[in-house]
Amino acid sequence: MHSLIQGIGVELIYSFVIIVCSLMIYYSTKEMYELSSYKGIKYFRQSFLLFAIAYFFRSFIKLLLVYSGASRILDINIKYIGSITLFIFMFFGSLAVFYLVYSLMWKKWNNRSNKIIKVFYIISVLISFIIITTQETLVFIITSLFIFAVSIFGLYLTHKQSKEKKKKSSIQIIYTLLFVFWILNIIELLIKFTYMYQIIIYLSSLGIFLVILYKVLKKTGSN
Amino acid sequence: MKKRGRLEIIKDILKTMQESRNSIRYTPLLRKSNMSTSKFNEYYSELIRKGLIIETKSSAGEKRLSLTQKGFNFLEKYKTIISFIEEFEL
Repeated sequence: MHSLIQGIGVELIYSFVIIVCSLMIYYSTKEMYELSSYKGIKYFRQSFLLFAIAYFFRSFIKLLLVYSGASRILDINIKYIGSITLFIFMFFGSLAVFYLVYSLMWKKWNNRSNKIIKVFYIISVLISFIIITTQETLVFIITSLFIFAVSIFGLYLTHKQSKEKKKKSSIQIIYTLLFVFWILNIIELLIKFTYMYQIIIYLSSLGIFLVILYKVLKKTGSN
Repeated sequence: MKKRGRLEIIKDILKTMQESRNSIRYTPLLRKSNMSTSKFNEYYSELIRKGLIIETKSSAGEKRLSLTQKGFNFLEKYKTIISFIEEFEL
């Protein structure tokens, strides 16, 4: 009982901190976007808003796991609630990743932005739909790795671009880590990790969000 | 010469207005902006639409342009915005 309460406590604190970080990033860039209407800032902000929603539903899934006594999301016996929550979580999570990558690449496809955003929505719906209809661990992992591959490819392209411009930047490394730990956050819903590994994933994810928040606050001068 | 970006052009237009004691007519602003009339009109409409500048009438009934508070805020935050865009490669 004690470890159960401790587990729920850890989950809630973890989700709460990530959601607060994401929302702080979103709101501290609000004025900049309203003044400039700059598309890169728009996609960046939207990505963190979507991450906040995705992490909210992730914590809801974790609570469902505790409540139902299941160890993996696919074993949850409250079928409809489990499926709907999983759908929303995967949809917003995938979209958040796509938006973040697109915030780096939008200039290349500025004229086709609307079409590309629509494609992001379609892919995210498809991924989420495939996952909840198949309910297969392998499909879940393959689709997660697909999102990861797409995001890493996007980061690679922007890295090549900054190399050509001889710009030094740590942002690709931070985003790569963000995506790696995002995928681990998904896989953690499928495979029961030991408490130790779980804590490492949580602390690393928190660290990445805090680094991004710190960079944002440093630049925006927000308190 | 490096091509100016959208934000830099907006900054230059607003700066010109600020330096003209925040009251300038359309034609001198167009001349000082170093842009074609059609390009300038695109920016002009955008700035009006987004509330960064406002059209006013002088006591002589002449149409003049002024910065709004939002316009002043843009100038104040311009460097921060650029620095943020560079930091996150947006």
